[in-house]
Amino acid sequence: MLFNSTTFILGFLPIGLAGLFVCGRLEDGRWALAWLVGASLVFYGWWNPVHVPLLCGSIVVNHWLGRRIASYPGTIARRWLAVGVVLNLSLLGWFKYAGFLFGIDPPALPLAISFFTFQQIMYLADSNGATSNGATGNGTASNGIARSGRNAGHDGFLPYAAFVSFFPHLIAGPIVRPREILPQLRAAGLARPDPDAIAAGLEIFLLGLAKKLVLADMFGRFADTGFDAAAHGAALTLFEAWYALLAYALQIYFDFSGYSDMAIGLARMMNVRFPVNFASPYQARSIAEFWRRWHITLGQFLRDYVYIPLGGNRRLPALLVTMLLCGLWHGAAWRFVIWGGLHGLFLLVHRLWRRLGITLPSPLCWLLTLLAVVLAWVPFRADGLDAAWRMLRGLSGANGVALPRMIVDALPWLGHVAVPVPLLPYLGDARTLSFPEVTACLGLGWFIVLAMPHVHELQPRMRGVTLTAGFAFTIQALFFAPHVAPFLYFQF
Amino acid sequence: MRLTPSIRLAAACLLSVAVYFLAFAFVLDRPLALGFPRAQIEAKLALGAAIPGRKLVILAGSNGPYSHRCETIEPLLAIPCVNAGVAVGIGLDYLFARWKPLLKPGDIVYLPLEEAQYVRGRAETAVGPDAAIMLRHDWATLRTLRAERWEAALFPQDLRGAVMSVIESALVAARFHDPRAEATGGMNAWGDHVGHTATLGAGNRAMLAHLSPQHVTAAAIEAGYGTRIVAGFLDWAPGHGIVTVGGLPTAFADAPMPPATEAAIRTVFRRHGARFLSLPNRAAYPRVDFFDTAEHLNEAAQIAHSKLVAAALSAVLGRSAAVRHDLVAAPGQQPPALHVTQRLTAPSSPAP
Repeated sequence: MLFNSTTFILGFLPIGLAGLFVCGRLEDGRWALAWLVGASLVFYGWWNPVHVPLLCGSIVVNHWLGRRIASYPGTIARRWLAVGVVLNLSLLGWFKYAGFLFGIDPPALPLAISFFTFQQIMYLADSNGATSNGATGNGTASNGIARSGRNAGHDGFLPYAAFVSFFPHLIAGPIVRPREILPQLRAAGLARPDPDAIAAGLEIFLLGLAKKLVLADMFGRFADTGFDAAAHGAALTLFEAWYALLAYALQIYFDFSGYSDMAIGLARMMNVRFPVNFASPYQARSIAEFWRRWHITLGQFLRDYVYIPLGGNRRLPALLVTMLLCGLWHGAAWRFVIWGGLHGLFLLVHRLWRRLGITLPSPLCWLLTLLAVVLAWVPFRADGLDAAWRMLRGLSGANGVALPRMIVDALPWLGHVAVPVPLLPYLGDARTLSFPEVTACLGLGWFIVLAMPHVHELQPRMRGVTLTAGFAFTIQALFFAPHVAPFLYFQF
Repeated sequence: MRLTPSIRLAAACLLSVAVYFLAFAFVLDRPLALGFPRAQIEAKLALGAAIPGRKLVILAGSNGPYSHRCETIEPLLAIPCVNAGVAVGIGLDYLFARWKPLLKPGDIVYLPLEEAQYVRGRAETAVGPDAAIMLRHDWATLRTLRAERWEAALFPQDLRGAVMSVIESALVAARFHDPRAEATGGMNAWGDHVGHTATLGAGNRAMLAHLSPQHVTAAAIEAGYGTRIVAGFLDWAPGHGIVTVGGLPTAFADAPMPPATEAAIRTVFRRHGARFLSLPNRAAYPRVDFFDTAEHLNEAAQIAHSKLVAAALSAVLGRSAAVRHDLVAAPGQQPPALHVTQRLTAPSSPAP
């Protein structure tokens, strides 16, 4: 079930909330948790019920392993932890990477397996207290959420099942930590309706929905035109290539951060606070800062459970290996590995540069960071390495520079750098006015991401203004747009 | 007074809808993208309204004006002709609603509809360009359509539409020279598209050579929402003395419409009491005869196709008069005067 579908918004969500609050009136909160688990499994199975038993089995086995780890000391616990990690990674590897690694026909990928596998590895690691400072808890988690300080493995089955299957984060994150969420799921107020929390959550949900339906899907259509053309062997000219790439950079940001906001809003309605997952990443002034702002919960997971165990700051290759794994986590394809490798390389260069002690002007830092991040989206989005290469050729201007004749006529000096053509076939809808249309839309999109605070930084008044600007367009897209585009991160 | 979060949220949502409605109903417009088809629709309606006696109306998407030429057909059949097609995206229910009041007993409506028009879904139809046109300019027609149409018409534009409204209004204010007429030709006083010569379309030849048209299946035609709209019109017509005739859209000869699809279209018309035009070539032509899509013949082929249509229409309608080849006017020339009292000037470029 998609968060941006009318089935979810008008059916599942109100029924799910009402059921939770009704169950919350029953004794000791178990019914509310049971309802939450049941509703989450319905949500998960709506897409493909075949994989519900896999999710349930994974939850049961990991909870059992967690109890083993928590109940044994030292070495034995670590062995159980190793068993758990191997089991989880084997499951993920079989479904996600068997085709890539062994060249066999890949099995159907269970929805969200990357997310619920990581969640449960965190649970097992936390049960052992085996991770570094960031994961073991030092009082306050990221985003100011209080930690309970107790081992996750002590939890009962129902809170654990609710934590893993909790539908707001089940499909595409945020990757929440057991110690952040389990105490909230056990809290007495979980299933108590709080009008202010519901309103606040609904507001964040609607803003996320607007990001997805109004902005991401619009930029997605612009991006698809260019990238699809490259996939079919077309030679994109400079503006066609850059506009497609800039549109994709906006699409993936609005799509994924919109999803995260919707998840945060949904959880908030149920009195659960999720960490912020995106914090204006394109405003970052270094690649390291970018990763502290982009998919924050994944970055933290990789830092605490991969990078630091691999040696962290003491070993430079740890950075590269972590980012390669990050790329591979996004999908079993070389293009994702290249994307991860590029980011690893950028991070290495950044670290070495910092050692030199040379400081660049802040706007230049921002520009270089943005350029690196945006260019790295080329292999990530392109349909294969050939298409990526064709896109890069277009971006470099190797296929020439063309502009609509109407633009060149209006600004004749452009005739010195661009060939006038009736229209650009791989730009927007390839109509006469597509160039000014895409230009204006990109301008608006980049203004929002570069000049405005993100949703969670907005003051209540500005949130209201933003919602006023976007709500009607959201209604338009939700009920009257002929096509619904799935979230990009569903495939991961 | 301090507003609670719930009230603030509800107020923001209501205000958003109100501002959106006021903006798109009274302020924002798309004078180029929507202004052009609207002007074409209105000009063609005015042309139809100006014909006092019986008339032939060709109703389709852009296959109508690009591949059919009333200027050719009119003298051959000796009946005033209006080429009322505009674009495939304009809702058939909207076009029928606009044309019904102008149709009189004895009028003939020829419908060489594109395949896409039969299978266009309910949602897609509801949010077509006519939705925005109706909200901004044509509430009278909107009121006559079903509830789902005016619900969608209240939300006709996405963010792109809003952005383009500003851009197009600015371009019009700056006396922007629309280059489309030079690129594709214009419209004559019959509502035909003219000037889309083979020479002008030479640049499209490579693209046309690689175009692979996607035909719809017979099952899709039978189940199509557009088919239901067409059937409704066909059912309405006999009671008002209107003769309806179905026809095929043009197609590439090397990728013609599947026979089953053609049969399904023919069945739609025959089942609802209409006649159907069978052309010897099934409206299929070599790719070199096309201008820029499989529905758009170039001007020379348009004229040739129109002669075939006129001959077939004459046979189907059982007219005693033979087709008058002597009355065929050369492209761009005024044919011998018939009963049309007034020919209207109209915009001369296609939809952007």
